[in-house]
Amino acid sequence: MVKKFGYFLLGILLLTTLQSCIENQNFDQFDDLRIEPTLEASILYVEAPENIINLAFAANFYSQDFNFDGFSEAFFSDKVIDGVVTYIVENTTSKDLTITVEFVNEAGNVLDTEIFDIDAAPPAVMDLREIPYGGAGRNLDIIRNTSGIRVSAENRGDNTSTSSISDPKVTIRSSGKFRLSVK
Amino acid sequence: MRNKYSLVVAILLTYVCTYGQNRQLLYDFNEIPQSLMVNPGVSIDFKWYAGIPATNISFQAGSSGVAVDDIFADDGIDFTEKFAREVIYGMSNTDELSGNYQIELLNIGFRGKNEDVFYSFGIYNEGDAIGYWFRDLAILGFEGNADNLNRRFDLSDLKTRGEVLNVYHIGLNKRMSDKLTMGVRAKVYSSVFDFNSTRNDGYFVTTEGTNNIFSNTLVSDMEWRISGIPSIREAEKDGTLANTITKRAFFGGNLGLGVDLGFTYNISDQTVFTASLLDFGFINHSNDVRRYTLKGSATVEGVEIILPDALTNPNQDFWDDLIDDVEELVPFEENEESYLMFRPSKLNASIRHDWGEQIQSNENCDCGPNVSQGGNRGIRYANSLGGHLYAINRPRGPQTALSVFYQRRIGNILALKSSYTVDKFSFTNIGLGLNLQAGPINFYVLADNLLGYRNLANSRYQSFQFGLNIISWGKK
Repeated sequence: MVKKFGYFLLGILLLTTLQSCIENQNFDQFDDLRIEPTLEASILYVEAPENIINLAFAANFYSQDFNFDGFSEAFFSDKVIDGVVTYIVENTTSKDLTITVEFVNEAGNVLDTEIFDIDAAPPAVMDLREIPYGGAGRNLDIIRNTSGIRVSAENRGDNTSTSSISDPKVTIRSSGKFRLSVK
Repeated sequence: MRNKYSLVVAILLTYVCTYGQNRQLLYDFNEIPQSLMVNPGVSIDFKWYAGIPATNISFQAGSSGVAVDDIFADDGIDFTEKFAREVIYGMSNTDELSGNYQIELLNIGFRGKNEDVFYSFGIYNEGDAIGYWFRDLAILGFEGNADNLNRRFDLSDLKTRGEVLNVYHIGLNKRMSDKLTMGVRAKVYSSVFDFNSTRNDGYFVTTEGTNNIFSNTLVSDMEWRISGIPSIREAEKDGTLANTITKRAFFGGNLGLGVDLGFTYNISDQTVFTASLLDFGFINHSNDVRRYTLKGSATVEGVEIILPDALTNPNQDFWDDLIDDVEELVPFEENEESYLMFRPSKLNASIRHDWGEQIQSNENCDCGPNVSQGGNRGIRYANSLGGHLYAINRPRGPQTALSVFYQRRIGNILALKSSYTVDKFSFTNIGLGLNLQAGPINFYVLADNLLGYRNLANSRYQSFQFGLNIISWGKK
C-alpha cells in the first residue's frame, strides 16, 4: 500500500512539472490595429466621335447627368480617409473643346467642378489631372456626398471640319484611388 | 473590444493545426482503454472497462504560422507593423489554424464469452475545425488593389471546414492468434453543425483598362456550405438553443457512417507492428442545408458612355445597369441542395520493441512470463521503444507527423510514455504521458509539446488529454 501511495505521489509530482507560465501579453494592442487598404477603380468613361460633334446644332453638344452611387455607399462614405480622382481627357478632333465634369449630390446641387479646355488636334492633345481629396486636398465631404456625375461638352470650334487623325474623338477617362479605414 | 477577443480566441482555439488529432502518446498505450479509439485492433487484456462519463477529454490546438506572443507581446512595437509582419505577410496559404476536441459521453468495453473477442461501444462528442490562411485575400483586404496592377489575388486561398458532431460507435477487437489482433469499429455520425468552403477557385485582378484607366476583373468559382447553423441561429433567437443542439446531436441532425480498422502484429515476442485507419466515412448533409455560391466572371471599367449609342435612351441609368450586369455575370446564389462531406480520415502505424524486466500483466489467463506456451501473452516488458507515423487527410492534402517514443512501466501500477514528434512545423515537440492504475481506478494524463509550457503564449501547439476509467481484469 505504501508502495502504491509512493507511485501516486510520483505521478502527482510529474503532473506538477507541467505547470506553465505565460509571458505578459497586452491584448489592448488590438485597438491600435490600423487596416487601411487603398482601392483603385475606374469611374467614368465617355467617348464622343467627331461626327457626332459635327451633327450637333448647339455649341454645347453634350450634357448628361449620371447616377453614380459608388461614393455614397455606406461602406465607402463612412470609411474613406483620402484619395485622388484622376482624369485623362484626350482630344483627337479638329475642335477646341471645353469639357466640364461636375460632382452633384442627391438634390442635384453641384459639389465640385473640373473644367478642361482642350485645344484642337493635330497633334492629339491629352490632359492628365489628379485631384486630391481629404488631407491637404479638396474637402472629402465632396466625395462622401456625391451621388451623381454631370458631364457636359462644349464645342468651341466649327461643325464642319474633320481631323486628319484617324477615328477622331474626344474621350474622358477617370479613376478613383481612395484609402479606407476598415479598422 | 469584441473583435479583439474574437481574434485572441480564434488564435487560441485554432491552435491545433497540423498536429490536429495526432495522438501519438495515446496510440498503442494499451494500458489505457481509450487506446482502442485510435486503434480498434490494439492488444488489450481487460475483462471489462467503463469510462467515467465526461471525464475523458482531449483538446488540441495549434497554429503553424503564428503564436499569440508574436503579435500580443508587450514589446512596444507598433501593433499594425507586427500584425502585418507576422500575420498578413508572415503566414503562407499552407499555414493553418485549427482545433479539435473530444468529450467522451459513454465508453464501455467487455470481453465476450469467447475470451478472444472484446466488444466496446460508446458515444463521444467531437468538434473539429481547420482554416488555412487566406493569404491573398488578407493582403487584398490589408493593402487594397491599388499599386497591385496585374497581381492576381487567388480566391482558392480560402479553404476552411469545421464541424461539431456526436459519434456513436461499436467496436470488435479479436485476438486472431498469438501473433495477430484485429479490430473494427463501426460509427454513426450525428452532425450538430457543419461548415466548409474547400473547393474555391478564381482570382481578382486589376489591369490597365481597354477604354478606361483601369480594369477590375473577378473570376470566381466559390462555394460556402453550411448545415445545422440556420436552425441553431433560429434557436438562439427563440431561446431553445440547448434543445436544438441536443436534438441534432442525438440523430436529429444529419447522419453519416464510418469505420475504423486496425491491427496489432507481433513480429517477434518483443517486436510489435501496429496500424490503424480511423474515420473512413462520410456525413450526408441533407437537412437544414444552405449553399452559397459566387460563380462567374466579370470585368468592369466603370460607367461607360459611348456616343452615339448612349443617346438612344436618355433616361438610361448607367450605374444601375453596371451593377445589374455584374450581378448577372457573377451571381451570388443560395440553394438548399444536400451535400456529402467526407470525414478527415487518419492513418497510424507504429513499430515497437520491448525489452527489460518481464512483468506479469493483469490479464486473467494461463499465460505470462512463467508459462512456457502462449507467446508474449500476459507479458509486459518494462521498456518499450518505437516509432509512430501519423497522417491525416486535410483540404490541402495529407499531413504527416513522425514520432519516436519510449515507454517505461513500473509494475502494473504506473506507466510513463514520452514522445518526440517532428513534422514540417516543429522539431521540438516533446510529449509525456502518465497512466496510473490504483486498483480498478485508472487515471491517465497525456500532454504534448511540454517545452511550450515555458511560455504558452509563444507556443504554436498544445494538446492535453486526460481521463478516468474503471477497469477489471476479471481476477478474483
